[in-house]
Amino acid sequence: MTEPELIEGILRRDRNAFQYLVNRYEKQVIKTAFYFIGNMEDAEDLSQEIFLDIIYSMGSFKRSSTLSTWIYRITVNKSLNMVKKQQRRGIMVRLESYFRSVPDHGVAKEAEPSHTGNEVEKKEMNEMLHAAISRLPENQRIAFVLCKFEEQTYRQIADIMKIGLPAVESLIHRAKLNLQKHLVYQFSEYQKT
Amino acid sequence: MDCTQFKTSITAFREDTLSGDQRRSAERHLAACPACSGLLAQFNSLDAVIAEQKAASPNTFAATRILQRIENEFERPGKIHSHGWVRMLQPVAIAIALLCGILIGSYTATKGTPGTDQLVTSPGNIEFLRSNLFISDFADEDKILVLNK
Repeated sequence: MTEPELIEGILRRDRNAFQYLVNRYEKQVIKTAFYFIGNMEDAEDLSQEIFLDIIYSMGSFKRSSTLSTWIYRITVNKSLNMVKKQQRRGIMVRLESYFRSVPDHGVAKEAEPSHTGNEVEKKEMNEMLHAAISRLPENQRIAFVLCKFEEQTYRQIADIMKIGLPAVESLIHRAKLNLQKHLVYQFSEYQKT
Repeated sequence: MDCTQFKTSITAFREDTLSGDQRRSAERHLAACPACSGLLAQFNSLDAVIAEQKAASPNTFAATRILQRIENEFERPGKIHSHGWVRMLQPVAIAIALLCGILIGSYTATKGTPGTDQLVTSPGNIEFLRSNLFISDFADEDKILVLNK
């Protein structure tokens, strides 16, 4: 199925076109969402909303870029919205737990699943990396994730973000410097513990 | 090169974009500084973490679930899908409507309803009150009859 055929099929609400769309872009959508959200299950859940959005918004697709680029744009926007929601929810949960906190003297905590030292270290590294990425300004985060994780070229990133090539270069350079700063601090703190 | 200088050029060192002199200076510093060597090792371990994330693949049933969701969405005829901005405007519209209601209500309460004096003095209003509050015109006459008896 060619891209114009796929687009026409989706506009006609053709089931075969839906199936082709999902099979063709499922991994791209889920993995991009995963790189921003940091959790595969959440990314899979969000991908359902993303595909519905793609189908409903297909009428507004101008065809000035490739379908893949347009889908990347929707995925990035939806993922960033989800991250913001999670951050807001996180603040509320922390506030709730702060006000509800009761002393748990003598109460045995549930045993955490055992991990080997290497697994723990990897998990912590993963968390530190994700925390550092999520502290980047939004544009730097998008450019960095698309470049480093999605392995998109600077040209593709420029198309997805609707900016020029020099702007992409600058964003990625600044993202790397910011990440370096955050990670140096986090690693130094980690070494102290 | 000292620790601060190394920390600010660690990415350039890893990406091999330092000049020859800078690189040699950084290597000399690394040989003498265990803290910066440890830091470099941690940065290098991030490559493995990123590679692991890139290798992660979605659940094999993810596509089926997406298709099922799409099926469900289009099975329901007459369902109106609202865009994000419409969904965002809905609470704003409700808030505006509520505010208008409160303003209109408070305005009519102060300006639109007559005072107690006006109600009593107008003969039309006395009739209205009598009929609505079940006060019979004969009530006074009944009272007089009872007294006469």
